[in-house]
Amino acid sequence: MSEQNKNTVDVLIVGGGPAGLAAAVRLYELGIRDILVVERENEPGGILRQCIHDGFGVTRFGESLSGPEYAARFIRQVREYGIRVMTGAAVTNITPEREVTVVAREGLTVWQAKAVVLAMGCRERTRGALAIPGERPTGVFTAGVAQAYINLYNRMPAREVVILGSGDIGMIMARRLTLEGAHVKAVYEVQPYPSGLPRNIQQCLNDFDIPLYLSHTVTQIHGDRCLEGVTVSQVDERMSPIAGTEEYISCDTLILSVGLIPENELSLDAGVQLDPRTRGAYVDEHLQTSVPGIFAAGNVLRVHDLVDFVSMEAEALADAVHKYLAAGDLPEGKVKLTAGAGVHHTVPQWAEGKEPFTVSLRVVRPMDNVWVCAKQGGHIVGQKKMKKALPAEMIQLKVNPLTGTEDVEVYVQ
Amino acid sequence: MFDVLIIGGGVIGSAIARELGRYRLKVGVLEKNTDVCYETSGRNTGVCHGGFAYDRGSLKAKLCVEGNRIMGEVARELDFPLKRCGKVLVGNTQEEYDRLQEVIAQGEANGATGLRMITEEELKAMIPGVKGSFAMLSENSGILDPFLMTIALAENAVHNGAEYFLEHEVTAISREDDTYVVTAGGETFRTRWVINSAGLGCGKISDMLGIKGYKLIYSKDDYIILDDRLGRDLPMPIYTVPSNTYMGIHVTPTTDGNVLLGPTAEDTDNNSWYGVEQKNLDYLYEEAMKLWPNFTRGDYIRTYCGILPKWVDDEGRIQDYKIEILDDIAPNAVNLVGMESPGLTASVAIARYVIDMMQEREKFEENPDFDPIRKGIERFSRLDEETQARLVEENPDYGELICRCQKVTKAELLQAIHNPLGVHTVTGVKYRTRAMMGRCQGGYCQMRITRMLEEELGIAPEEITYAREGSRMFFGKVREV
Amino acid sequence: MIKEFTCVVCPNGCRITAERNSENEEYKITGNACSRGLTYVRQELTGPVRTFATSVGVTGGVLPLASVRVTAPIPLSRVKEAVELIHAQTLTAPVHAGDVLLHDFMGLACDVIVTKTVEACPEEAAR
Repeated sequence: MSEQNKNTVDVLIVGGGPAGLAAAVRLYELGIRDILVVERENEPGGILRQCIHDGFGVTRFGESLSGPEYAARFIRQVREYGIRVMTGAAVTNITPEREVTVVAREGLTVWQAKAVVLAMGCRERTRGALAIPGERPTGVFTAGVAQAYINLYNRMPAREVVILGSGDIGMIMARRLTLEGAHVKAVYEVQPYPSGLPRNIQQCLNDFDIPLYLSHTVTQIHGDRCLEGVTVSQVDERMSPIAGTEEYISCDTLILSVGLIPENELSLDAGVQLDPRTRGAYVDEHLQTSVPGIFAAGNVLRVHDLVDFVSMEAEALADAVHKYLAAGDLPEGKVKLTAGAGVHHTVPQWAEGKEPFTVSLRVVRPMDNVWVCAKQGGHIVGQKKMKKALPAEMIQLKVNPLTGTEDVEVYVQ
Repeated sequence: MFDVLIIGGGVIGSAIARELGRYRLKVGVLEKNTDVCYETSGRNTGVCHGGFAYDRGSLKAKLCVEGNRIMGEVARELDFPLKRCGKVLVGNTQEEYDRLQEVIAQGEANGATGLRMITEEELKAMIPGVKGSFAMLSENSGILDPFLMTIALAENAVHNGAEYFLEHEVTAISREDDTYVVTAGGETFRTRWVINSAGLGCGKISDMLGIKGYKLIYSKDDYIILDDRLGRDLPMPIYTVPSNTYMGIHVTPTTDGNVLLGPTAEDTDNNSWYGVEQKNLDYLYEEAMKLWPNFTRGDYIRTYCGILPKWVDDEGRIQDYKIEILDDIAPNAVNLVGMESPGLTASVAIARYVIDMMQEREKFEENPDFDPIRKGIERFSRLDEETQARLVEENPDYGELICRCQKVTKAELLQAIHNPLGVHTVTGVKYRTRAMMGRCQGGYCQMRITRMLEEELGIAPEEITYAREGSRMFFGKVREV
Repeated sequence: MIKEFTCVVCPNGCRITAERNSENEEYKITGNACSRGLTYVRQELTGPVRTFATSVGVTGGVLPLASVRVTAPIPLSRVKEAVELIHAQTLTAPVHAGDVLLHDFMGLACDVIVTKTVEACPEEAAR
């Protein structure tokens, strides 16, 4: 693309979902005017458009909203401020120099951005990624796809349903399908504990007498055209199926709620380094990635439990981008944060540590009455006591300013 | 009344249909499935073989070498992806070294060229991370897109006048005077010539023709597909040292950059069960790790299974291709039995061989209007940004990316939905465009694609067919409004 | 007698225990982090209530469905009946988030409101 066809912009935000919209609004409020949000759908809102259940916004707004209402709060602000949003537009490439290619019906454009905000969200793990044995009939859907068909596209894909995975979307779909007249036979979870939030187990499963079987998984898919049934097996502590425990369950639909993966293909093209644990970018407390001027927040960084925290993280990101634009760069985070005993991952993974900052983390298994601690060279730099810690929930830990460049270990005891 | 009816629209049937377009003949193709590559032709490794792995003097060897030789020209004419990237057979022991020497000698006797031994250093310089102490390199081997090759042959056949009858399974064949009466999909067809290129169904059709006694076994191959980021570091297929009947498990890049692990090759008497088995998935992981440990289970995006028909003798030994016209039992019927690997590579050579046999009995008049050229759907994702910008300007549908991970535009999907064969399935769109073939497996785009199918074809949600006949996707609408 | 609850008022999901020794006694409630948890468990013990969301069909809109929800919890035992009543409704575009679909729904002191704006389809409007 020749130079004269290149547009410039201060901040280009990739994705107009909860993270992108919240970042845009806060950036505007901080005085940044030259913002472009690029959204592939015909309207902003991201995944919230199909999450019609309520429960969003309790932390951020102090009231319980449906997904579309939660998104509308930010969309209204974006419109009021006149922030530019390109809809029906897909980013096809980002370079390490922050040159962004956008394809839309109106044409292909290239943008040179001072800062790029990655807010692409995540995708669902599929049947193929799990490599569940059997044939490939219709009727096997990820929970999000079933949700889109039912809530956005007015298409009914299910009657007799088995759900694999106790992720939140899967449980929410159990209730949704039940309200739409489908029969949800059971939810099977391979882990010995549920992977979604306790409230969803109560109000999506227990309320409708849908049984949840822990330490179980689907070991075979049956049907050469349409799904006819699944074989379910118990698993041992290493999550391997136990021979002799197989049970055939007839069903026409298998819903998978087996994990979300941050959507970082564009980030990789831009040279952003990813953390194999979060599958999102390595960032410092300013949410800057390994490529200067490229920032990330929301589910593209790591999968969140609640959208409220996505918005709040994106707002923190906006503060950092504001500083970056004013100063031309941000100090590099030189202190490494490591996930110690009982901790699956931390965000950020690096810190400058001049100011106090918050680390968010997830634990590897459910635990009661624990201390969550951060330690640098023998000194506790942050700790909190928790009555219970669940892998389903993100834990926020405040960390005091750091001295030196020694690693900070975050652990549970 | 047809001059030639071809039973089976796989890669061989479609190659025959295409090559018959060179003559003034009325050609029909009866295909039992909803598209042309739902069985063996679409379910394989997509390798263009060199021809060294088959017995000296066999039809398999001869037609494979010839098919490989002409593949470049065929791919250019028909616009399907072919990469002559070469391939290696890696070994570690003296026994394997000796065996590879034999393979080279056998290959050269078969007429294959570009075969040589390479050292460990050469091997590792060519393929980062490969395991092996030495290898045989076959320079002329390559990879191709088996779906697009079959579709291209079929579309070019249709362009030159052949008629495809999808969802027409042959249920009876009889001979009345000098014509065959073929019942398929509840309809009756009359033809002067009939060709059995039914692939997995070759035994059944052979029996219907009165040619009895072929013993067939089926070899079931499970595969794993890896994310298309991995193909960037795999320039060519990696094979183990083969026997003449089993190529061993291999690690193969596709023309789209995915990596295939497989096949497992298990004998079965079931030629229609396409289930992938856990034990095979575990085995593929173990074996592929021994060749190319550059992947993890996190790179899996899909699994699949293919089945090959193999003609065996009474002792169960796999036989060569059988391509015959038995004038006394079934005159004007070409019977193809045991058309397994390297059928994809050899398909056009097989077609020409078949037509030569037919012409020994009847001289066909040349068709001066034959057009060997077929243009595929332009892949937006493969174009440079200048060309992409121009396309979007000319047609805004190119500016609408429907499948994000494979970067497939609405313009491409519309062409695929309105394809020349009249295929109306979801996988028909998938194989023609690569939409839904990426790492999210349609998580983002399948809703849009099924809606486009409904709108473009004017059909109800219940009528959307995923792949095989009867594979419905929806029970209807959530609300009738 | 001990009954255990997972509080669904907020995402914390407190595990709350209600215990009493005889029918006549008051429940002793422990484990709640806030007073809303207490209220929730008392309600669960006497008659659980829930909010819920679903959708209604829209004619002449750019989308076929508008999502809706109840503005206050209703008895769990009546959710099924409530959903059926809502599904029997249809809307004509345009509809706006916040529009009240059903006032004083089932006499339960709550409304059913639209949660997503669905604009009229341009072609439909022209007809």
